[in-house]
Amino acid sequence: MMTSLYRITVIGRNTLTEAVRQKVLSVLLIFALVLVGSSVLVSEIAGGLDASSLFEQQIKFVKDFGCGAIGLFGFAIALLSTAQLIPQELHNRTIYTILAKPVRRSEFLLGKFFGIVLLLALCVALMSLAFAAALYWQEQLGLAAVDAADTQIPNWQQNPTLVSQYHNDVAQIYQQVRDPQLIEAILLLFMKLVMTTGIALLISTFASSSIFTIVTTFMIYLIGHMESTAREFWLARGAEMSIWQSGLVGFISLLIPDMNSFTIVDEILAGNHVPWSHALNLLGYANAYLIVLLAVSIIIFDYREL
Amino acid sequence: MTEPYFPIGKLVGIAEIGRMESSAPLFAVETTGLTKRYPLTWKRKVLVALDHLNLQIRSGEVFGLLGPNGSGKSTTLKLLLGLIVPSEGEARVFGLPPDSLDARRRVGFLPENPYFYGFLTGDETLRFYGKLCGVAGAALDRRVEELIELVGLQNGRERPLRSYSKGMLQRIGLAQALIHDPDLLFLDEPTAGVDPLGSAQIRDLILRLKKMGKTVIFSSHLLEQVQEVADRVAIFSLGKKVLEGSLESLLTERQSTQIHIAAELSTEQEAKLRQALGQAGLDSAAIQFQRPQLSLEQLYLRTVQAQSEAAAKGAPKP
Amino acid sequence: MNATLPLRQRLRRALLLAAILGLWAPFKILWEQEIGREQDFLRYHGTVMTRQLRDDLGQGLTIGVLSGMRNVVADLIFVVNVTIAWENEEWFRMGSYINLCTVLQPRAPVFWDVGGWQLAWNASVAAAHDPRQPNELRRIKASRFWVDKGLDVYKRGIENNPNYWRLWADTGLLYQQRLKDYRNAAYYYQKASELPNAPVFYERFPAIMYEDAGDDQAAYAAWKALWLRLTPEQKEKKEHWKEKIKASIRRLEQKLSIPKEKRVFPN
Repeated sequence: MMTSLYRITVIGRNTLTEAVRQKVLSVLLIFALVLVGSSVLVSEIAGGLDASSLFEQQIKFVKDFGCGAIGLFGFAIALLSTAQLIPQELHNRTIYTILAKPVRRSEFLLGKFFGIVLLLALCVALMSLAFAAALYWQEQLGLAAVDAADTQIPNWQQNPTLVSQYHNDVAQIYQQVRDPQLIEAILLLFMKLVMTTGIALLISTFASSSIFTIVTTFMIYLIGHMESTAREFWLARGAEMSIWQSGLVGFISLLIPDMNSFTIVDEILAGNHVPWSHALNLLGYANAYLIVLLAVSIIIFDYREL
Repeated sequence: MTEPYFPIGKLVGIAEIGRMESSAPLFAVETTGLTKRYPLTWKRKVLVALDHLNLQIRSGEVFGLLGPNGSGKSTTLKLLLGLIVPSEGEARVFGLPPDSLDARRRVGFLPENPYFYGFLTGDETLRFYGKLCGVAGAALDRRVEELIELVGLQNGRERPLRSYSKGMLQRIGLAQALIHDPDLLFLDEPTAGVDPLGSAQIRDLILRLKKMGKTVIFSSHLLEQVQEVADRVAIFSLGKKVLEGSLESLLTERQSTQIHIAAELSTEQEAKLRQALGQAGLDSAAIQFQRPQLSLEQLYLRTVQAQSEAAAKGAPKP
Repeated sequence: MNATLPLRQRLRRALLLAAILGLWAPFKILWEQEIGREQDFLRYHGTVMTRQLRDDLGQGLTIGVLSGMRNVVADLIFVVNVTIAWENEEWFRMGSYINLCTVLQPRAPVFWDVGGWQLAWNASVAAAHDPRQPNELRRIKASRFWVDKGLDVYKRGIENNPNYWRLWADTGLLYQQRLKDYRNAAYYYQKASELPNAPVFYERFPAIMYEDAGDDQAAYAAWKALWLRLTPEQKEKKEHWKEKIKASIRRLEQKLSIPKEKRVFPN
């Protein structure tokens, strides 16, 4: 058991080393550019009733664009690096040398999977740092604007209403920028990426090319966003449908993961309260799904002819 | 990059490399009726990649698999490594199923045209494979030193493998196959694409491994090399083993005899010899005198080696 | 792919996979339904709007496809399309873009808040000064049309985000300043003042609104309620706004001729 874990660790770390040395992380520079660009864009345009409402808008936009970009770049990294894994190993013949050693196929596959998960964790952590910096910049802009707007009347400190307004505006900016729920949002985003990795890994265990893996995973990802609609439709009216319709919608409901539930992140970013209990429920679901994905991947890969 | 210390490795240690010599079976490799068929779905045909192979290879033998491309050599090796499942028949490695971890602890493999991980250095490559075999800590350090020395890759230790030449890749491949000190080595075309000097080094290495008591099974279509190292060979064609035996029994021509004289003969001496042989009852028409010729390979090796030895003695190259 | 495997192994694998998926599928569906139920509440607070909204979304499959990036799409429409329509003074176009954003993200109060402001103030003021419309009555009518549109956006926003004080406060401001409906303004200010994060001074707005409406009884009641809520220590401590409350109460007690024994400040 311990030796098995050790081998998984060795393969996982090697996978991470590979990604880092192949300069996958340089993709994140583009991420930083997108983030800075969108922040500048939203502070240029956008109008509002007063300074604090204007900044509420801008902070929402930066949060949405930041998390959207984390999701998009993470998705690209997860999908492309997972789809390449096995074809690359076959092409370089490394898979033969590894499996000729006392290494189980399941250990190989799990090592690869955790290597990608480590890579994603690293990327998401770095992107989150850039995101935090963009938010901090937006906060400083907001505070400066509130300063300028609320303190323009001479002797405003003597006017209790103005003082109260000022403190309220500052507090609101802090509340929106330093929202601890953002950690929850990023954790859910990360989990969505890990799910994508799991799906791509499963496809790649029987795919004969990485293009097939990429296209299929992408389709499942998209259908996954509609799974909840399909599922409710099927549960409510499955009996009234024709066999073919019911079969198709039922197949989607029974097998495709519910990716749409992760869009609850939007609610967090819009400033609405999403309790940790719900996030943990969703994370639990995703982890259970991952275990199934990995189990199926291992079974298929175990029987695969290399 | 030096690998950080990893405590689990210590627990595993080299002890994990199991030895079962006490109950050693007679054969390192044994196959009975081993068959592999690939259905060609589009053509509605079945390709028989390997057809009822019976093979017995004793421990300590150097065994050559010969045959044209697509004759079943690589399929045989993949079956013996458990990378593919036989359609029929059975293979055993040291009496164990080939896909069992115990079998693979005793087996090393060098695939055909390996690339390995281009981003790792020679040192890191060996450490990676060593850890997979449960070799760790000081034992791994020692082993890496030995193998770098053995395959002569001192100049490639710190270089990433993507900058390696073909010969260097084959040598690092041999080193990784040996990292856990296996008893049986599978080498798939170990000299393909390697220059004559490099391939001569690989040949010498196989001979050294043989002296160390390892069993080596290799495939090649460079027949001269096979001849130099193999004890026994099998020739494959269209998935079937068509001939098998020891080189001596297969290659000795019973109808002729060679006499080797380490000196140049004068015409006079030659005439006397003919006379003497005639007196021994041999038909003079069946006697030929020839100067042995160097093979081009031998000439090449002599020249290149002499050159590099001279360079090593003189001023070191920049 | 694995067609070369012996039939027995293929069968075993198929059975194993079928068993895993067969066991997982019912759990998966039940779990997802549970998550869905929690999210219905988190996303829409279970308001009446929920079903209508979901029907709107269900019509366009594209929205479903884009749902992974729904918030970014909404933001881009708001930042780019709404702003361009605003600059070109294309008010109907702007209104429909604002509507699209609120349909995409009904729980993002910013869209309702800024969208309502765009319609009730920017569109309405522009219509009131439209140089292409010489008829003043028509200009007034058009101006009022946009105020009503903005008010509608505010109110739908409140339905979706009842705990967001700014929507209530801005509706109050609209009633007060553009519609001169001080009673309604008082109601919305009152609601705003009761919500978390609202600036404290909003609690005095309803009383002022009632005074502006000329309803001295209601104004008196509102001021009195504010004063009576204070603890004795708070009453002692002199502050600008407390003086204002005190003065208002005194003035209204005089004006309404409240009997001495019922007054807060008998002297």
